[in-house]
Amino acid sequence: MHARALLAAIGSLALLASTMAPAAAFQQAPALAAEVEAGKLPPVDERLPSPPRVVELENVGQYGGDLRIAMSRARDTRMMTVYGYARLVGYDSDYNLVPDILESFETVDDKVFTLKIREGHKWSDGHPFTTEDFRYWWEDVANNPKLAPLGPPILLKVDGEAAKVEIIDDRTIRYSWSKPNPFFLPAMAGPRPPFIYRPAHYLKQFHEKYAEPDELEERIKKRRMRGWAPLHNSQDNLYDQDNPNLPTLQPWQNTVRPPAQQFVFVRNPYFHRVDQEGNQLPYIDRVLMNISDGKLIPAKAAAGEIDLQARNLFMTHFTFLKQGEKGEAFQTRLWETAQGSKIALFPNMHVADPVWRDLFRNRDFRHALSLSIDREEINEVIYFGLAKPANNTVLPRSPLYKDNYSQAWAEYDPDRANELLDGLGLDKRDGDGVRLLPDGRRMEIVVETAGEETEQTDVLELVHDTWLDVGIKIFTRPSQREVFRNRIFSGETQMGVWSGVNNGIVTANMSPAEFAPTQQVQYQWPKWGQYYETDGQAGDTIDMPAARELFDLFKKWQVANSEQERRDIWHRILEINAEETFTIGVVCCTKQPVVVADTLRNVPEEGVYAWDPGAHFGVYLPDTFYFADAASR
Amino acid sequence: MLRYIAHRLLLMIPTLLAVSALVFLIIQLPPGDYLETLIAEMQSRGEAVDENQIAALREAYGLDKSPVEQYFAWLFGMLQGDFGWSFEHNRPVSELIGQRILLTFVVTFSTIMFIWIVSFVIGTYVATRQYSVSDHIATLIGYLGLATPNFLLALVLMYLANQWFDTSIGGIMDDEYRNQPWSIDKMLSVLEHLWIPVIVIGTSGTAGMIRRLRANLLDELQKQYVVTGRAKGLPPRKLLWKYPLRMAINPFIADIGSILPEVISGSAVVAVVLNLDITGRMLLDALRAQDMFLAGSFLMFLALLVVIGTLLSDLALAALDPRIRLGGGATR
Amino acid sequence: MSDIDRPKDPRDTRAPDKVAHFVSDAPFDPDVEVVLTEEQERYYMASQWKLMWWKLRRHKIAVGAGVFLLLMYLIAAFAEVVAPYELQHRDVRHIYAPPQSVHMFHEGSLVGPFVYGYTSKRDPETLEKIYTPDTTKVHRIRFFCAGGYRGAEYEFWGLFTGDFHLFCPEGTREPVFLLGTDRLGRDMFSRIVYGARISLTIGLIGIILSFALGIGIGGLAGFYGGWVDNVVQRVIEVLKSFPRLPLWMALSAALPAKWSPILIYFGITLILALLDWPSLARAVRSKLLSLREEDFAVAASLMGASTKRIIGKHLVPSFASHLIASASLAIPEMILGETALSFLGLGLRPPVTSWGVLLNEAQNIQVVVLYPWLMAPMIPVILVILAFNFLGDGLRDAADPYK
Repeated sequence: MHARALLAAIGSLALLASTMAPAAAFQQAPALAAEVEAGKLPPVDERLPSPPRVVELENVGQYGGDLRIAMSRARDTRMMTVYGYARLVGYDSDYNLVPDILESFETVDDKVFTLKIREGHKWSDGHPFTTEDFRYWWEDVANNPKLAPLGPPILLKVDGEAAKVEIIDDRTIRYSWSKPNPFFLPAMAGPRPPFIYRPAHYLKQFHEKYAEPDELEERIKKRRMRGWAPLHNSQDNLYDQDNPNLPTLQPWQNTVRPPAQQFVFVRNPYFHRVDQEGNQLPYIDRVLMNISDGKLIPAKAAAGEIDLQARNLFMTHFTFLKQGEKGEAFQTRLWETAQGSKIALFPNMHVADPVWRDLFRNRDFRHALSLSIDREEINEVIYFGLAKPANNTVLPRSPLYKDNYSQAWAEYDPDRANELLDGLGLDKRDGDGVRLLPDGRRMEIVVETAGEETEQTDVLELVHDTWLDVGIKIFTRPSQREVFRNRIFSGETQMGVWSGVNNGIVTANMSPAEFAPTQQVQYQWPKWGQYYETDGQAGDTIDMPAARELFDLFKKWQVANSEQERRDIWHRILEINAEETFTIGVVCCTKQPVVVADTLRNVPEEGVYAWDPGAHFGVYLPDTFYFADAASR
Repeated sequence: MLRYIAHRLLLMIPTLLAVSALVFLIIQLPPGDYLETLIAEMQSRGEAVDENQIAALREAYGLDKSPVEQYFAWLFGMLQGDFGWSFEHNRPVSELIGQRILLTFVVTFSTIMFIWIVSFVIGTYVATRQYSVSDHIATLIGYLGLATPNFLLALVLMYLANQWFDTSIGGIMDDEYRNQPWSIDKMLSVLEHLWIPVIVIGTSGTAGMIRRLRANLLDELQKQYVVTGRAKGLPPRKLLWKYPLRMAINPFIADIGSILPEVISGSAVVAVVLNLDITGRMLLDALRAQDMFLAGSFLMFLALLVVIGTLLSDLALAALDPRIRLGGGATR
Repeated sequence: MSDIDRPKDPRDTRAPDKVAHFVSDAPFDPDVEVVLTEEQERYYMASQWKLMWWKLRRHKIAVGAGVFLLLMYLIAAFAEVVAPYELQHRDVRHIYAPPQSVHMFHEGSLVGPFVYGYTSKRDPETLEKIYTPDTTKVHRIRFFCAGGYRGAEYEFWGLFTGDFHLFCPEGTREPVFLLGTDRLGRDMFSRIVYGARISLTIGLIGIILSFALGIGIGGLAGFYGGWVDNVVQRVIEVLKSFPRLPLWMALSAALPAKWSPILIYFGITLILALLDWPSLARAVRSKLLSLREEDFAVAASLMGASTKRIIGKHLVPSFASHLIASASLAIPEMILGETALSFLGLGLRPPVTSWGVLLNEAQNIQVVVLYPWLMAPMIPVILVILAFNFLGDGLRDAADPYK
């Protein structure tokens, strides 16, 4: 049996065991009870699937209260889908995959995935959630050339081969490929999962195939659309939560049509999770999302106007928030982050200038660059000494972590750096002490930033000084994100600054794609990544042995059959990355300030704030958060 | 007079056409388009990009067509009341703009009233006491308003209001009223927040207005008829109110056309700092995100507001001053 | 304007105290010329600019403002000498250090200008670095001194290196931060001094561009009238129909990102000027329209003066005052425009240092609460804008010397 299948089986077993525990009758929020009384809703036992997902909590909560959060853009209604974290399968807080919406799943060699829906699971409008919703998406959305001109998403294709979808019964569906697709389940657990199911009963009224032509025509006209496909697309955003009429499976559903300055999310009366005592989740009645300018969010948090916030808060706000705590009822916690590196330098292996390209592709040169950064000073000056000087690699929290990966060539050793540079024949300097390139030009690097965070420019100021000590002069050039990327892609940029790998808390079963040339947005080798992403239609083939090896290892990982094998591949990948210093990480393990209202419970004191895996607050299941003073709120 | 009105109305058409072409040019200037911005943003966060959605959007909104075609499509759409599609908000632009207009009017109108009242009082006062201490002090205050960068003033006032009056940070009303129908409490909450933007935006316009009123009034006061009036023993107050002030008040009407854009663009920055849900902020967001149809429609709307404002002020001036309307529009 | 200020009217030959009836014995000769005193003669023969200067001289505030501005431009020109530290110098031991106050007396005895050293500790709870003045450490300030400490060396206008400063800290390690430091331990005073160079010139260059456009285009429209005027009117109207800021934003967003900072600087200046000329052109035009009907213009025209001569010799001088008034308003508007654009992240960006860039770093509430000294660049901005306005006011009044 496959490792992950085993895991899943254990997951569902545990679930089965725990579902036996609570009493048969379930409890619900007082507000819903009133609606049941009034005959507007069916009783809670009929609303919950059987079995519901039972969440074991340290503290059983109380119903009630409004949770105030803030976002910087109206489009951020989608963050409630991220936080809600109702997924077919999701990570638990130890990053194991467990069934969530699904009752169970089975995998065979990562090739065949059989998903089973809970019995009696319902959408937020009370309509049954069945395999019809999966079929509708696969046949009428993903494979409809008008709705999806490019066909099904890449996740459902393996080497160009589309999934085989079999509907076994109302509650069981199977996806299979002839080759392994190890990305399928982790993607389902992601912060932005591919929604392979859609509320068919609702969306059919906008679909050419199902709707009455006259009515459809009228709807198109009414909304000033240019056809049924844009109309369908505009109504069908399970992720964005911008259509209050669209049924959802998330714990809270948006009730305000954008644009608005405040979005009100109310509880989904059919939500499928309960606590160990059988209380239907979520505890909190409503989530009020206020849209504010990003710069104001720290101020609002410090004024006690927010109950739970991490987005738009940074370490630079910490002192300010701490001061705010004195007069207001909230705490500022520091959570870990998951980025491999808070800030990393990316020497562009595809830079158009041949002299620089050769240098950047030279390992000794990259080592010299890395050795002449005083990471301790940067940590002290910019991160209050709370970060950790390290390479851009996995974090200590990851089971794959080794000190060597994070510290190789990361110490501050200008003498060694000078030696390395002299050894490369770059020993001539001009009057200012700046080294000269083989063709006599000064050794000047223009480092470009996306111009968004002053932190990057600040770090570069510090790097500037220590690099100048070894004879390398840098200039900082801020631009805009798209320009920044495009210049790197086209080889105009010598070096870019960005954050390191997104997920530094990987396990052997997670994809090592971020550590191998597989994506164009890997700024050290965009063209190799693009080559893979476009199936060789654009970009360049990898012409550097170490990078080639990384890519081969990545391919090997995809077809590996055991966790042990995957782990070995992972270690080799990390070793190569540490030896080669393709990207120059500066510091890692920075903290994320999280503002939590004093009375908000079940929010971990110490957590990990990460996008994938983690979905920010998602893995900690915000539907289980509650207010200790809910009654008086 | 009728002829004059007709003349001015006809002149608006080419102006608006030119404005629309300029607006379109401007929103096309920045490199890339909204969808590229969107993709960049999603990728940088490691979010998967839904290529299908992108491709569908690009096709549906003609982003793959030539700019000229796009312009005419947009222009004709506008004539039929279709202002295009907002990518950022995923809905027709016409639905978005309407929501903002009321509050934009409230802020703009209050600000202009503020500018008028303050500069009228100070301007008249200082003009009659040229070079006195009070002239200098009043002028200094007016100039201080002009000299202080709007955004910092707004920031400091917002902080102080939060500390002293416990006003919530940002917004034009307390959060709890945001989705509620209008009520007395909601109005009060708006008033509690409105004074900051009005003062901040207003102060920068006031100095200019005071200066013009003062200069006009001084010119007027030195004219022969005033001297004659004074010689004939008219009381100073009457001497001031009867004619010179009426003449000098022209800038209040004539400057609507120049104050309006000033107030609106002032409100854009202040709206960002104070997080006001008025046109300014949404326009700024749209410009930043390259949400071109939304930004373009906003610019068109604001330009229209100014053109109509100028028209009204011209008509009012013409009604006041026969020389203007008899001379026709061309030489004014 | 009081009568005492007014030069004596030469035709007024009455002796002031004579009240009684008086008949001159001298034979009456209507052709005799009025004899001018030397002073009157000087007044009548003086050029217009000289008259302006005489009048401006009496406008004390304007003169003061002018002197202040001159001083500011001098500081901008000699920023390297005035600032105690080089622009990029950082002192990582003193991050977010508050301003030091300058004392004269230590424990009752005169020491001359000095500052107390800092002691600092980090608050373990809030992680804030708290600085307190250490009254045992007396650091004298040296004047007209030659370096000898870190950050003293500079390249004057990029031409030659030097380390001569207006004032310097005493020791090699103990700093003098009159306006505190920022998040990287950079001296705010030095940064403001260097920032003056960018901020003050942006207005000057902008106004030159704007003047060229405004006078040229407005002059054409005003003098020729007819269709030229009509076209110019429409162009002005279209440009003025826009709120400036969005136009500025959109245009600055279109500046190629690969431009060097100096090109961006000129680009921003050009954008500021592009939106400034219409109001100037409008003022020029309407003044010309009314002036060309005045008797002196008609007379000149009847005497056969050329158009060029009428505009240049008769009309422009007569509304020069208004041009100067416009300029006095436009320069500070451009300086403010630069700060607004930088605030929105669309103007100049670090490592270029202008007042707008410095203020951009002070744009959130936490600065207001924790590090208020970072808002210090606001002071020179306000002062310079006030000064320009006062100077402009004085010039405006002075430019009509016969009033």
